[in-house]
Amino acid sequence: MARFPNMDDKCSVLYLSRLHLDDLSLDHLTDSKRQQIQQLHLTYNRLSFLPPSVCFLCNLEYLDISNNALTVIPDDIMRLTNLKTFVAKNNLLDESSFPKEFERMQVETLNMSGNRFEDIPMQFLKMTTLQSLSLGGNRLKSIPAEIENLNSLEMLYLGGNLISSIPPEVADLTSLRYLVLCDNRIQSIPPQLSKLHSLLSLSLHNNLLTFLPREILSLVHLQELSLRGNPLVVRFIKDMTYDPPSLMELAARVIKSQNLPFSSCDLPSNLIHYLNLASECPNPKCAGVYFDSCVRHIKFVDFCGKYRLPLMHYLCSPQCSSPCSSNPQSDAESEEENSVPADRLQRVLLG
Amino acid sequence: MEHTELIKPETLEDLIQTLHKIFESDSVNVEEVQNIMESYESKPHEWMKYAKFDQYRYTRNLVNEGNGKFNLMILCWGEGHGSSIHDHTDSHCFLKLLQGQLKETLFDWPDRKLQGGMQQKSQRVLLENQCAYINDSIGLHRVENVSHTETAVSLHLYSPPFQTCQTFDQRTGHHNTLTLTRALSGLKGFNIGAVL
Repeated sequence: MARFPNMDDKCSVLYLSRLHLDDLSLDHLTDSKRQQIQQLHLTYNRLSFLPPSVCFLCNLEYLDISNNALTVIPDDIMRLTNLKTFVAKNNLLDESSFPKEFERMQVETLNMSGNRFEDIPMQFLKMTTLQSLSLGGNRLKSIPAEIENLNSLEMLYLGGNLISSIPPEVADLTSLRYLVLCDNRIQSIPPQLSKLHSLLSLSLHNNLLTFLPREILSLVHLQELSLRGNPLVVRFIKDMTYDPPSLMELAARVIKSQNLPFSSCDLPSNLIHYLNLASECPNPKCAGVYFDSCVRHIKFVDFCGKYRLPLMHYLCSPQCSSPCSSNPQSDAESEEENSVPADRLQRVLLG
Repeated sequence: MEHTELIKPETLEDLIQTLHKIFESDSVNVEEVQNIMESYESKPHEWMKYAKFDQYRYTRNLVNEGNGKFNLMILCWGEGHGSSIHDHTDSHCFLKLLQGQLKETLFDWPDRKLQGGMQQKSQRVLLENQCAYINDSIGLHRVENVSHTETAVSLHLYSPPFQTCQTFDQRTGHHNTLTLTRALSGLKGFNIGAVL
């Protein structure tokens, strides 16, 4: 058990890192000293449990117990009602390590990188005060839809996991500025991500992306985008798998494009519902719609006049295309809609 | 020519003074510089004031302008931060790890008939206090902090100092020129990490 050197009267930070500690007692502290401590560093020790003494530092706001051997966080942590930042990187924690009540803590920054999480604990997904969540270098296979509950989240670091897809609910994190999904197994980006209007930096390097959704262009505040180590297509690849539209779809397309009036007196409710599902063809020169049958179209868009990124969007039919892209393999000057001005997306890390 | 005995630099200040002496001459003995830089044992309290991190990308912070003969900079790499593939504009580049680790991937200069993207030549992880060296005749490199839990800090010496460099798209070998910009408070980010 270690005792630490005398603390200054004004000192609120306690550094107890790299001391070979396997336990710690703060019992000899006076109440006033105990109340003085706002930051505690216990990194690089030999702790296999959180010393109970720590939980009696009632004014503790910052706790870093990284690089120890913790498997469990005790219920007593709930006593740290002022805890704002909790860092426990490189321990042995997983989704069952936290007390049931943990969600009631008002923590703003949680860094649990380098542990053994296979799922994001349910308690974390209820902590609406969370501004920053790091679970890098764990074993997460997916991101649950409940992530959308974290409406204060500004930073989400999930790099170095086993994630294969991004749920559209991530797009509901409207305060998000920094999203890190590098070193995973992601094959596609949901177009809804364009709703992340506050996003400044998106890290997608070392995944399995072959193209990006065209909607990514609407992330106007994005300054950093890393895409290296993805099998992005470099040449136009014609999409050969096109299922021709059904008769029902063809009829529905005519109704919508001719603006034929219809009402519930005319049609059964299932057809009314179907007609309301029409999607507008994204080609601005086409006034058409599609329902189930569409073509995946990849266009190369110049970023900052320098780099050509493959962006994908759906078109209503193989014949639907803007005049300039009739020869997609040509190196002709990009048309207006094909280039992103230099002040947008200034920093794209691809190579 | 007399070879001056150089004592191991105990502090960062010692290292800077020694480098000034070494670079008084016009010729650079790469091995000598590498040894001197490697022998300085990193002491965080000596360089912490230069280590300004950015959440989204790595930063470059000027330490010393070496009487115009060299630039000494500290680079701060957050988790997952990496650079693009770049050259060194005919200058010597020394890279010493002050904290954490960096992965260096070497590439050959791309040739016209590039098929299937630029291929990496070799890769290694640089550990704390190690000092690597590169110049354009050796090739191009990408430097990355691949850790998801640790930050990294590196000390870079460039001689002569340079204002622009090329960055390369690994998929196609196409390159672009980047310009160093200077802000009022010091050197602002080389957009090396920022482009393809």
